[in-house]
Amino acid sequence: MKHNFIDRYADLDSPLHQLDARTKLVGFTALIVAVLAIPPGSTLVFFAFFFLAAVFMGISQVPLGYVLAKSLVLLPFVLLASLARPWRGGMGFTFLNALVLRSLLSLIILVLLTNTTRFTELLRGLRNLGCPQILTLNLGFLYRYVFVLTEEVLRMRQARDCRSVGRAPAKVELKILGSMLGTLLVRSFERAERLYQAMLSRGYSGDFPVYGLRRFSWRDLVFIAALAPFVFIAFRA
Amino acid sequence: MHIPDGFLTNRVAFSLDALSAASVLYAARRVKLAASGRLVPLMGVLAAFALAAQMLNFPILGGTSGHLVGGALLAILLGPMAAMMTMTTVVFAQALFLQDGGLIALGANIFNIATVTTLTGYAAFKLLGGPGSVGKKLAVVSGLAGWISVMASAVSCAFALVLSGAISLRLGLTAMAGYHALIGIAEGGLTAGTLLFIARVRPDLLKATERERFGGLDWAYAVLLVALPFGILVLGGSSDLPDPLQRLLTGAGASGRGSEGAQALASPGRFLDYALRAGIFVMLIAAAYLVSRFAHIRRRGQ
Repeated sequence: MKHNFIDRYADLDSPLHQLDARTKLVGFTALIVAVLAIPPGSTLVFFAFFFLAAVFMGISQVPLGYVLAKSLVLLPFVLLASLARPWRGGMGFTFLNALVLRSLLSLIILVLLTNTTRFTELLRGLRNLGCPQILTLNLGFLYRYVFVLTEEVLRMRQARDCRSVGRAPAKVELKILGSMLGTLLVRSFERAERLYQAMLSRGYSGDFPVYGLRRFSWRDLVFIAALAPFVFIAFRA
Repeated sequence: MHIPDGFLTNRVAFSLDALSAASVLYAARRVKLAASGRLVPLMGVLAAFALAAQMLNFPILGGTSGHLVGGALLAILLGPMAAMMTMTTVVFAQALFLQDGGLIALGANIFNIATVTTLTGYAAFKLLGGPGSVGKKLAVVSGLAGWISVMASAVSCAFALVLSGAISLRLGLTAMAGYHALIGIAEGGLTAGTLLFIARVRPDLLKATERERFGGLDWAYAVLLVALPFGILVLGGSSDLPDPLQRLLTGAGASGRGSEGAQALASPGRFLDYALRAGIFVMLIAAAYLVSRFAHIRRRGQ
C-alpha cells in the first residue's frame, strides 16, 4: 500500500521548493493573515491575491487539479455556515462572497505551503522559529507512524467486514469497535516501547539530525520582497 | 468541529492563538519535567493512533456517524499534560496536511479540541472517582468523561463562533450542543469500550496515570485556562476596535450603501457589468498561472 496523501509533491524541484522553510512559514502565514484582513467589498484586492496565488501555483509545478481538489473540499461547509446567518439583502451576498473567497485563498496558500516543503524541513523550520521541541518531535513520530497505523486499521476493518454480515445491534457493534480500538492502542503502546529501546541503543540524545537543509539565500529575499506589497495593500484597503 | 480560516474575527482568532501558544508552552515544560525519555516516542505514536482511529466510524442516528476524538481517552491513559501535547500534535497535523481547520484558526482549534477535551475529560474522570476503578464503574465513569469532553468542546467551539458573529448565540448553542450530545454518545461508548478492553488485556497501562503528578497549582491553572478566555473574549467582543467582519455584521457605516447596493445589484445592467468584470479577472488569473508555469518548464529545458 502506498500512502502519500500528506506531502505528495514536496519532492519536486521548483523555485518555491528551493526556499528556506522558515521563509515559507513566515511568508505564507503573513499572506493568510493579510487575506483575512481584506475588507469584504474590495474586489480588486481579492483579484490581486488570486493573481498572486495563481502565479505561485504555476511556479510551484504542483498539478492544478490537485490544489483545487484539496481547496474545494471546504465549499459545502462554507455554504452550510452561510445558511446559519441572517440574510441581509445585498450585504448578505457580499459577506458570503468574502467568506468563500477568503477560505478558498487561505486553503490554496496552505496546500502550497505543505506541498512545496519536505516534512523534515518544515519541522526544522518550526523548531528554528521557536516551536517547542516536544511538539516537533511528536509531529515527526506522527508523520512516520500514521501510515503504519492507518494500514493496521484498514487491515482490521477488512477482517471485521469479512467476518460479519449486515449490522449488529448498536451495543454489540460498540463492543467490537472498542476491542478494535483497544487492540490498536495496545499495539501502539508496544510499538512505542520497542521504538524507545531502538532509539536508546542507537544513541538518542534528544534530537534528530536533518540532512540536505536549504540555506537562506537571495531567493528568499526575492520571495519576501514580492509578498510585502500584497500584505500592505490588504491592510490599507 | 475544526474551524477553517475566515470564520472567526481576527480578534477572536489571535487571542485564542496567543492563549494556545501559552498553554502549549506550559504543557511542554510540564511534560519535560515530569517525563523520562520514553514518553517522547509514546506521545508521537499515540498521536498517530488518534489520527488513524478516526477511520473507524460508529453509525449513530439518521446517517450521521461519530468517531473517537480521543481527548478523554488519552488524558485518562497519559495524564492531562502529556495528553494535551499529543492532541495538540494531532490538531497541528490535521491543519497542515488534511486541511482540517485553518492556520490562523489553529489556536482556536487547539483550544477546543486539545485543551478543553483533555482537561475536562481528565477532571470528570478524576472527580467521578475513575482512577483505580474496575468493571462497570470504570465503563460508566469513562463513558461520562468522554461525553462531557465532547460537549465542553462543542460549547467552546460555539462560543468562539458566536463571539465572531458567525452565528447567533441561541442557534449556535442549540445546534452545536444538540448535535454533539449525540456525537458524544459515540465518544463516551468508544472511550469506555477501549478502556474496558485495556483493563482486561494490559491492566498495567491504566496504572500509568499515577506517573504524572497533577497538583493544586495545575488544577488552578486548568480552571483558569478554560475560564479566562471566555472572560477576555466577552470583554474584547464588546470593544469597538475596527474589524472588517465586525463592521459588516453590525452594518455600521454601511447602512447608506447597503440599500443602494441591494437595488443596484438587482438591475440587469449591473449584473452584466459584474459578469464582464469577473470574466476578465478569471482570464487574467488563468493567464498568470499559465505564464508562470510555462516559463519555468522552458527554463528547466534549457
